[in-house]
Amino acid sequence: MINVNQITHHFVLGKKGNKTIVPVLKNISFQVNQGEIVTIVGRSGSGKSTLLNLISGFIHPTEGEIIIQDKKVSEFNETEFADFRLQHMGFIFQNFQLIPSMTAFQNIELPLILKGMSENARRKTTADMLKKVGLEDFGEHYPSELSGGQQQRVSIARALVLEPPLILADEPTGSLDSETEQDLLQFIRELNRDLGVTFLIITHDDEVARIGDRTIALADGKIVESGVFA
Amino acid sequence: MKVKDQFRFIIQNMKKNKVRVFMTVLATAMGCAFLIVLASVAFGLHDTVLKDTMESGEVTQIQVHGYEESETSYRAINDEDIKLFEDLEGVNAVTRQKSILQEVTFSTEGYEVPAPAVSAHFPSEEKSGLELAEGRLPEAPNEVVVGHHFASSLIPEGQSAEELYDEQGLVKEEFRYDENIIGEPFNLKLKKIADGKESSGDFDVTIVGVMEAPAREWEWDQNVYLTDHLLTELEDFTGTPNAELYDPSEMEVTETSETSYDNVTVYAANVEAVKAVSDKLKEEKYATYSVVNEMKQLNMLFNVAKAGLIFIGTIAILIASIGIYNTMTMAVTERAPDIGIMKAIGASPKVIKRIFLLESSYIGLIGAAIGIAAAYAISVAVNLALPMILEAVFDEKLPSGLRFSSIPFSLILIAVIICLTVTILSGLRPAKRATEIDVLKAMRREI
Repeated sequence: MINVNQITHHFVLGKKGNKTIVPVLKNISFQVNQGEIVTIVGRSGSGKSTLLNLISGFIHPTEGEIIIQDKKVSEFNETEFADFRLQHMGFIFQNFQLIPSMTAFQNIELPLILKGMSENARRKTTADMLKKVGLEDFGEHYPSELSGGQQQRVSIARALVLEPPLILADEPTGSLDSETEQDLLQFIRELNRDLGVTFLIITHDDEVARIGDRTIALADGKIVESGVFA
Repeated sequence: MKVKDQFRFIIQNMKKNKVRVFMTVLATAMGCAFLIVLASVAFGLHDTVLKDTMESGEVTQIQVHGYEESETSYRAINDEDIKLFEDLEGVNAVTRQKSILQEVTFSTEGYEVPAPAVSAHFPSEEKSGLELAEGRLPEAPNEVVVGHHFASSLIPEGQSAEELYDEQGLVKEEFRYDENIIGEPFNLKLKKIADGKESSGDFDVTIVGVMEAPAREWEWDQNVYLTDHLLTELEDFTGTPNAELYDPSEMEVTETSETSYDNVTVYAANVEAVKAVSDKLKEEKYATYSVVNEMKQLNMLFNVAKAGLIFIGTIAILIASIGIYNTMTMAVTERAPDIGIMKAIGASPKVIKRIFLLESSYIGLIGAAIGIAAAYAISVAVNLALPMILEAVFDEKLPSGLRFSSIPFSLILIAVIICLTVTILSGLRPAKRATEIDVLKAMRREI
């Protein structure tokens, strides 16, 4: 599903004449198989979010290649990656990233609109998805009118509404209380088991790391350990 | 993303900042209305001139003034020339008139009037579409047709001019001839000089028709139109061509002067044929004048004026476009986090750009629609109020049919195209900025 080969990445800080190169990732290579839940752990500054952003196509690697579903996405331009994200990826963010001026229904409907689905079909799909995440009574609520857990459910619903084979999650439980966190982890397990959705989850939470079939530990931009989280 | 959804998206976005969008639309509407109203003046005056020319019935006429013998000399048109004109393709009729070259007095039952007399070839006049206000064309040699104002020019014999005419130079009501002049016998008095002595002769004529009023209000027609036969009689009496008043025994009469015409008009079959006939006549070295040719220059002049006024109006729209640019830039800045989220979940830069361009176009279209409605209202008001104001201020009646402002569909189309182009251009830079928004920075609210 995901093949990360010899990825090196650094940020360039400062302006001309006073540039500072900050290395973030060094020769990272790993694979994520179809239907797997892989968690990436590491301390703050270890490069785990940068790694997720590279796989998401939000930034381009300085060196190396990323192949997702047999496509060398590291060579995609912005438009190609946008289309690829829409078709093959779903995103769950730590702070939900919902559009505040849209209702829960409209937020979930957005990927379907971008895909060009007909109004009737997307209304039905969105309603089904709202029901699936247990928010059928909250469709007309704006994000500010929902709890953190509900917002994250909307965010998950939006990520799943196009039924992508891959979900990338960046600290998905970071803004949730422990009870809601457990609900969410359970939901992720169900999706993985029932629909075969592949998850790549960035976390520093041991609870979350444990749901992974495999965990990759990063430190100072390098993989220091890979295996089942203990 | 479907256009319908993009449209719904922008409406939703515009609702977030109603006041700002309203002010921008208002500025665009004002610019658009200014452009249309300004240019409508040139369109209105052009229409008035064209209408006036068309109504005068002169559009198919080509006046032929003479034949160019050399660069400096012209000869009058003769019968041979007339034959050539009549044989040209696209010619409907060729009218020719000769003026009687002395003052002729017409009188009846105590009324008289000195009037210009002209001989006309009535078959060709009829073919050219001559219509009478009343009566018919002459059939007998002594029958004549008179101009529309002939009857009102008749004055009682022996009255002094001071008593006869009002302030406008017209015969006062109480002195006017109030009988029907059709079928009325008139005396035509003509002078001649023979052997150094002046004498006069009387000819009986009957008025059988009255011409239509001239197309232009200010024109005055008190001519008497005679038959060729009657002119020959008059020429025989005076012994001079065109019955000119001089002693024929003292002057040598040339053949040319006997057969020449003063006023020759070629009537083309239709407006389209005028140019071809006119060009042919010019090619044959005839000096011509046609309204259509003059209208070409006039059209060019008005088109330049229209283009100039549209250009000035466009400046107003350009000023309004600064508002659109500002509104769109603000919208991009405000919506940067939303744009970041949309890009993250798969909105391509093209879609983002299209949404913002559609928004600026929508503002331009609404502005243009309001501007057009306002321009129509202003145009109607101007056409109603300005003549009244001008008449009140200058105490003069304006020509009937005068339109100060006219808004044809072409002007609306031009205004909409200019408005749309300017608004799209002003939205381009903000739209491009929206596509360049960094997803990560936007989601971290760093923009």
